[in-house]
Order: sequence, then structure tokens, then C-alpha cells
Amino acid sequence: MSGTAPGDVASPHGPAPRGDVPVTLAERVLLAPFSPRARRDALYCLVSVPLGIAGCAAVAWVLGPSLVVSASVLGTVVGLLGVVLALRLARRLGGLYRWVAARLLGEQITAPPPFRRPAGSIIVRLDARLRDGVAWRAIGYSLLKLPLAYGQFLALTFWVCGLADMSYPVWWPLFRSASPAATLSPVSAATPPPFDSFVHATTWAGSLLVAIFGAALLLIAPWLTRGVVTADRWLARSLLSAGTLTQRVRDLEQARARVVDDSVALLRQVERDLHDGAQVRLAAMAMNLGMAKEKLGADGQPLDVRRARELVDAAHLGAKEALVELRELVRGIHPPVLEVGLAEALATLAAGSAIPVRVSAELPVRPTPAIETIAYFCAAELLANATKHSGANKVGINAEIIDSERTSVLRVGVCDDGAGGADPARGSGLAGLERRVGAVDGRLTVSSPAGGPTRITIELPMKA
Amino acid sequence: MDTMRVVIAEDAALLREGLTRLLEERGHEVCAAVSDGDALLAAVAGHKPDVAVVDIRMPPTHTDEGLRAALRLRQDHRDTGVLVFSQYIETRYAARLLEGNAAGVGYLLKDRVADVADFMAALTRVADGGTALDPEVVSQLFRASRHADGLATLTRRERDVLALMAEGRSNAGISAALVISGGAVEKHVASIFGKLGLPPSEGDNRRVLAVLRYLGG
Repeated sequence: MSGTAPGDVASPHGPAPRGDVPVTLAERVLLAPFSPRARRDALYCLVSVPLGIAGCAAVAWVLGPSLVVSASVLGTVVGLLGVVLALRLARRLGGLYRWVAARLLGEQITAPPPFRRPAGSIIVRLDARLRDGVAWRAIGYSLLKLPLAYGQFLALTFWVCGLADMSYPVWWPLFRSASPAATLSPVSAATPPPFDSFVHATTWAGSLLVAIFGAALLLIAPWLTRGVVTADRWLARSLLSAGTLTQRVRDLEQARARVVDDSVALLRQVERDLHDGAQVRLAAMAMNLGMAKEKLGADGQPLDVRRARELVDAAHLGAKEALVELRELVRGIHPPVLEVGLAEALATLAAGSAIPVRVSAELPVRPTPAIETIAYFCAAELLANATKHSGANKVGINAEIIDSERTSVLRVGVCDDGAGGADPARGSGLAGLERRVGAVDGRLTVSSPAGGPTRITIELPMKA
Repeated sequence: MDTMRVVIAEDAALLREGLTRLLEERGHEVCAAVSDGDALLAAVAGHKPDVAVVDIRMPPTHTDEGLRAALRLRQDHRDTGVLVFSQYIETRYAARLLEGNAAGVGYLLKDRVADVADFMAALTRVADGGTALDPEVVSQLFRASRHADGLATLTRRERDVLALMAEGRSNAGISAALVISGGAVEKHVASIFGKLGLPPSEGDNRRVLAVLRYLGG
């Protein structure tokens, strides 16, 4: 709530601001219709009623028939696809509702993480969609929005009727001045829907009574709108937010499992690389040197200098190759230049690239080493992808820190002018990157239309 | 044995070629040099070599297919010695290879090719139906042995002799390695068997088994 916004009247629930003239109850009641909050709530209702009805209708239209069809034997697949459609629609609607609440009410609801498409068959993806708690809660909100919208509509009628009734004395002389002798049927005051009209006027003086009735409606209206809007806020907060603690715990558990799996896989990869690479080279080298020793007369063998030199040459070459291999491997585990900083590491990465890379890195604050490492390896993998798959002529890498009100985010973007068509769902390395980034609550967004260009952005928190 | 007929199974081309060259330079015949377990079994069945050199980790799974192929060879081709060759030593693998029969089997670290003469001696021993166990396996057995008390009664020299016996060396091999006379070796061996309470055994293979059983028990 933005109760401290300038021009806002003192919150009716809070104590009067110290040093100011205390606001009496009467003043509070009388001024309520003119408060910015009342205006805000009424405006919200005005938007929320049509939006809520349309949203509820849309979700119900897709979901209802789909559920019915999916219960039948033949239509299960079609029905389930319909349910998935409804879930996706509800997710979108949830975003719209959050946006409206943020714009009109200043209600900041943390958006849930975007749906993570798992790699795998269509069954796996369908299953994940159907288990998407965020979308189901959004469906709940969309459906509950109908009774809410009705309440908000009623609250709005108090405003409309109140204003209409207050205008009676103004237009009375214009329309009711025909002949004082004529008997005119009484005019009813505009009355909000659940009630029958019970205030009537036959004379101008009577119309003043209607105006007083209208004023009374206007005094009630802000409290009514506040009530329904508060209920709406509460529902939106509980159904459209990032999720319950349980959900969060489940997400974290999954993320942890992925991290553990990844690190084990990484260790295995390192072991495999050493076993098949440097270890083999060193063994072959030792063998060559052992043979060379014999050719030089050890163990009483005949001297063969030419062959000995060949063997030493081979061993020498092997030693140099083993060094190169170890250096590559070490860089793959943790590039030493990362100690200096991400910007320098990215520059080094770009310098070693086969295609021209332009790096721009503005990092006034350093993220933690873990985050820098993740960012570096993502950039390295994205650069390798661009080089290998996209046929790009040039690549741009930019890294910056985006400060928002509450938190700072490290954003690394890699764009290329290649063929495009990158898709995390297609089992590429992108899914692995998404996992890595997701493990620290980061995000990966891909924009890669067929024909290019490709722009992939990762956002990471400053600390894991 | 003057000229051995050898089959090599090793998936790293560098080592495969190096070994082939090493053996051929010494006048041995490399019948086949293959890179996986199935090809090894086929080559041994086809060539009936004196000895097969087998890498433990080979495609497709890169875990222990070499060991499994070696066990098959031990069953199906008793005349072919099997030298298992690995970049790391796993005592349990050694135990499975030796199970009840130490004839014509070896288990060596790949590093051992650096000492060409030792490596060739071990290969020849295996081809001749003897045993070649890596010193690393033996020292692991020493460390893990529950007979620490018995081992503590041995002199330092006797421990050296015991280790060489466990590696599968003959008395002649031990006397060459320690640069002592054959008579001295025999004296040490008799003393060791007496102190550890092992029954005196005929032949190198049974002696290896007895020693290993003692160390492993």
C-alpha cells in the first residue's frame, strides 16, 4: 500500500500523523469519498468488472468442455490438450491481473517463475503442464473473479446512483416546471440493485431529500469498494503470487537435485577427460622414454641412437600435447582469469573465439564467485553454440548489472547474426544452461526466430 | 618363451600402437590389436595367442567391459594368458581375476610400461602360465590385511620377499630383483612360511595363491 504517497489522506486505520491536526471520525467519514484511495479503488473496480467477467468466461469456456471431453474414453487426449490450453490461458490472465493490480492499486505481487518445459517426450511435457500448480491457482482466481466482479459491480452502482441522486435538485426545475397544478407521478431516487427504490420525490424540496439520499450512498460507496477490493487483493496475493512455501520448497528440492546431478556429471566428465587424455599421453610418453633408455644401452641392450632419438622426439611431442590438454581441462574446470573479474574473463573468452566477438561489460559491483562462474560458463557455451550451429559472422556479448528497487541482477546477453531457430525444448545445450541458471533462481530467455538473429539473455541474482 | 603371440585390446590408439611397436621391436608377434571386448574375444578365438593384453575400460560403457572379457577368456581359453592393464588399481578386480586360480593371469597399472624390461618380464610370466600382480595391489593388500600381527613378525627383507612372491615372481625373479643369491631367497621363503604358518607349497602358482589368501584373509 502506498499510504505515504504525497497528497494521500491519513489512512483511516492508522494513527493521525503526529504534529498534524488530529483527523476526527466525522472528518474521516465525510472525506472518504474524496480520498485518492477511494478513487483508486473505484477505478480498479471499473476495470476489474469487465476484465473479470471476460476472463472467467474465457477460462470456463475452454476448461469446462475439455474436462467433460477428457472424461470420455475417446476424447481423453483432446480433452487434456484443452485443459492444457486453459492452464496456459490462465497463466497469461494471471499476468494481466497482476499487472492491473500493480498499475491501479500499487499492489506488487511477485510473479511466479515461468513454466519450465522439461526435456522429453510429449507425455512428459503434458504431465508437467497438468501439474503446473501456478496455472491451476490462476484458474482458481479467474473463476472466483466472477463473484468478485459482481460485488465490485454492486459497489460501483453505489457511486453511480449516489452521483445521480445528488444531481436531482439541479435538473428538477428544468423538467418538472410544466404546471404547478398538474399532478405528476413521483420520481424515484436511483437505488443500487439489491434494494427497491424507497425514496421518492414529488416536489423540488422532495428532490433535496433524494440528494441527501444520494450523499448517503456516496458516503457508503468508498467503504464498500474498499471491502470488495480488499477481498480481491487478498485472493490475488494468495492465488497469483510466486506460490506457497510448500511450492517453493518443492522447487528448491528439484533445483538442488539438478545441481547435485550436474556436479556429479561434471566430475565424471573431468575424470573421463583425464583418463582418456592426459593419462594416456603420459603413459605412452613413459613407454617411449623407457624404450629410448634401452636403445641407449640400459640393461645391456645394443646402442641405437637413431631409434632412441625418434623415441625421445615422440615423448617430447607427447609431453607438449599433454600440457595443452591439461591446460584446456583446467580452464574448463575454472578459468583462472575469473579471479580477476567477469569482464576480463569474457574478454579472454572473446579473444579465443573463431569468429569476431564484441564484448561490452559494465560491472561496477562484483557478483559472488559462484554467480560469476555460472555467468562465464553460460557465455562460453552460448558462444560455442553460436560458433558451431548458427553460422554467425559476428557475436556480441554484453554484461551489465540492472538495479531495480529491491534487488540487483546480473544480466548477460549473447547475440549473433546467425540462422536463429535455437530452442531449449529441442534437447540442445540450452536446456542444460536453463537448469544451471534456474538452480540459483536465475532466468534464461531465448529470442531466436528462424532466420535469426538470436538473442539469449540470462539474468542471475548477485549472489547464489 | 622366445617369441610370444599377443593380442592387444586397448581403446586408446596411442597406447595400442605404442604397445604393438614395443612388442614387435622385441621380436614378438602381435596377432591383432583391437579396441573393444567383443573384438577381443573374436581375436583370441581366431588366433589362439599365448597372451592377451586387456584394458579394463573400453567402449561402449567405459566401465569394466575389459575385465568381463578377461574373465570370459580365463574360462574359455585356458591356454591364453590374460594381462589386465589399467590406469587405476581396484583390489576387488584383482580378487575376481585370481578367484581360485592364479595361472596365466596378470593385473598391472599402465604406468608399468615405463620400465620396459619389468613389463616384458611380467608379460612373459603370464604367457608362460605364471602370475603378475601389480606392486600397488600387493601394497594395498598389505595395508588392508587383517594379519598385521603376523606380518609384524617378519623382518624387513622377508616382507620384501613376501611382496615379490605376491606379485607372482619366482625365486629366480626375486633373487634378481633384490640382488641376493638364490639360496638366500629360499631361506627367506622358508622362514616366512614358518612364521606365518603357511603350508609349504609346490610350484609358483600355488605359492602365489597361498600368499594372497593369507594377505586377503
